[in-house]
Amino acid sequence: MIELTDLTKKYGEFQAVNDLNLCVKKGEVFGFIGPNGAGKTTTIKMMGGILEPTNGMVKIAGINMYEAPEKAKSKIGFIPDRPYLYEKLTGMEFLRFTADLYGVPEAVFEATALKILNDFSLADWADELVESYSHGMKQRLIMSAALLHDPEVIIVDEPMVGLDPAAIMMVKKLFRELAKQGVTVFMSTHTLKVAEETCDRIGVINKGRLIAMGTTRELQREANTTEADLERVFLNLTNNAS
Amino acid sequence: MNEVLTLLKPRIWHARKRGSSKANGRSGARVFLLGSFGLLFWCGIFAVSWRVLVYFKGIEDIGDILGFKLLSMMLVVSFALLLFSSILTSLSKLYLSRDLLLVHSLPVSSYKIFIARWIDSTIESAWMVIIYTLPVLISYGIVYQAGIFYYVNTMISMLCLAAIASAISTLLVMTAVIFIPASRMKSVFIFMGILSFVVIYLAIRLSQPELLVDPEVFDTVMVYITSLQTPSSPFLPSSWIYDSIRSALSSSISSSLFFTALALSFTGMIVFALVLLADAIYFKGFSKTQNAPARLLKKNVVGDRIFNFLPGPIKSFTVKEIKTFLRDQTQWTQIFLIAALVVIYVYNFKVLPLEKSPIRTVYLQNLFSFLNMGLALFVLTAITARFAYPAVSMEREAFWLVKTSPLSIRTFLWIKFFIYYFPLLILTEVLIVATNILLQVTPFMMTLSTLTVFFTVPGIVAMGVGLGAAYPDFKAENPTQTITSFGGLVFMIFCAGYIGLVVLIEAGPVYNLFMAGIRSKVISLSAWIWIFGSFILVLILSVLATSLPMRFGERRLSELQI
Repeated sequence: MIELTDLTKKYGEFQAVNDLNLCVKKGEVFGFIGPNGAGKTTTIKMMGGILEPTNGMVKIAGINMYEAPEKAKSKIGFIPDRPYLYEKLTGMEFLRFTADLYGVPEAVFEATALKILNDFSLADWADELVESYSHGMKQRLIMSAALLHDPEVIIVDEPMVGLDPAAIMMVKKLFRELAKQGVTVFMSTHTLKVAEETCDRIGVINKGRLIAMGTTRELQREANTTEADLERVFLNLTNNAS
Repeated sequence: MNEVLTLLKPRIWHARKRGSSKANGRSGARVFLLGSFGLLFWCGIFAVSWRVLVYFKGIEDIGDILGFKLLSMMLVVSFALLLFSSILTSLSKLYLSRDLLLVHSLPVSSYKIFIARWIDSTIESAWMVIIYTLPVLISYGIVYQAGIFYYVNTMISMLCLAAIASAISTLLVMTAVIFIPASRMKSVFIFMGILSFVVIYLAIRLSQPELLVDPEVFDTVMVYITSLQTPSSPFLPSSWIYDSIRSALSSSISSSLFFTALALSFTGMIVFALVLLADAIYFKGFSKTQNAPARLLKKNVVGDRIFNFLPGPIKSFTVKEIKTFLRDQTQWTQIFLIAALVVIYVYNFKVLPLEKSPIRTVYLQNLFSFLNMGLALFVLTAITARFAYPAVSMEREAFWLVKTSPLSIRTFLWIKFFIYYFPLLILTEVLIVATNILLQVTPFMMTLSTLTVFFTVPGIVAMGVGLGAAYPDFKAENPTQTITSFGGLVFMIFCAGYIGLVVLIEAGPVYNLFMAGIRSKVISLSAWIWIFGSFILVLILSVLATSLPMRFGERRLSELQI
């Protein structure tokens, strides 16, 4: 469902992502972890079609992002780490804007939007301007909008930033349920506990290179640790790599 | 005091860095270009004011009165400008800037934060007004052959004027923020300011000030002189500055020092009062600013269903654009301003004294109609600069939504183009038709000007949208100010060139056609070829002016990494 081949990004002399090769299957929740500045957000931006790679290819649902970007993007629900939105629209208007953009039929829009807003505890705020929302509420609104058009792939950068514990729990459950329905979730996170609890497989990136990939158990083996804690595994892997 | 300096340091470092990084490469070229234009403008002001003063000086009896009246008016206008500019800048610097949350979390008392911010705000709001009043004041010094005392005294006086204006504005803002949230306050002040300006502007224009230079209107010269000598209010700080500068020009040093001392002591007093007040209420006001802004209009003004005939992505952006535009109160005021300008523009044609001219009215009417095309297109350029040029930057940091959406940058830009194209086309055509009716032009001129405008408007709007896309600033606190950037300058130059070329290409053929019509002459075949070729050339030029900037904008925006 997601295919990254020789994906490389250079900013001048600095190599942010280096020859990244990765395949995420349909219905899989894939976690992408790494220290600050490792290249997680750059990778995610290239996958979302925001950033052009220096080299390599991104395929979403079999569609090459750089050959047919509009078609590939229509398959994605993209959730960035910082919730910048149109502040002068209400929550409901923002959802309608997204629905029109992604071609959600008018007949199903109202019911779907209300259900999603309810799920994300935003129903009471639906008719308020986004500028009056808190950081967490904006993040929840972006998530609602990303799910509105039934995407085949969800790409999410730091999903839990700004969310309260109840929302974190809800999002973790939601990702698992979506995966069961065949949606592929690719998420980058610093919250190792979330990765451990939600992801089927985890990729560790450091200095632009994918240094390890597998289930938590496989990563433990690779990091030569028997401890169940992913934090220890992460530190061992990244320290060894540097 | 150390803490105040520390708080000001990021600002100083930022200015220094900008200076050094722009010293090389493309940024250096931009600074050079903008600097050259600034300098040219400065020299222009100097030349005009010097010329006017020399002329005034040559008029017996009332020459000095006129010169000093001009000085007094300039100081009152500068003071008003400083007040208005300080209101907006102090609101941003003291209550709305993004870094304030960080600054207020630092272990520094709020009045020290206030002092640092106020100094920053005063410099930012005053530097341009001060720099551009200098050429006028220098020309006074030269024409009145003033000594070094005049220049030193004037500098001190102008700094006092800037500090007083900034202190008064900040006092006003600080008190008002306690009652109205700062986020709304900015809109309120801009609204009130522009509304007052529009009312005053309309009142002045409709009272036909041009009659003041018509001696027939005055019963006697004495009434005229008396009206000029009416003193301004002694309570206005600009009056003290005026008296100080005037005394310095008249070599009355003791009188000049008195008024400068008056201005200085008032500056000290008001700044002291300001700091006292800030210590008591600044933090309270800042704290209130953190509250979520309430929505002014709950009712949905724009019905989404009107645009149901459009394809989904186009509808979504059209509705979003219109809604965000209408909900931004600062935009409404601009519409009032444009409406006032349009009224004045049309009114000017109504009061043109064509019948007093020695040239035949029919020639003048049609000549004005032809030149009016160029004028109307310049008005369009100014409006495009305000609305269409910042259209892409207005997406701000939510631009990621466009980049990740299943919509190509090309479609996105053309949506933006059409959103602005239709209203701007209607506005320009209304301007042209209304003024042509007032001028009672021939049907030929009416057809020519409406058609020319019809084909030129897309070019100007496309240059606005395209160049705005090529040089966007998604992080600008106020995207409408992006027009003052390098891209804005390029837009202005290209538009001026484009309009100039269109007028130039059409001038010859139009003259030929018009004169043939008046004299009932037959036009030769070669003349027809020339006329036809010229109009085709204008058409080609318009197609290029529409397509090339849009392509350029599309390419640059697609390459942009966010």
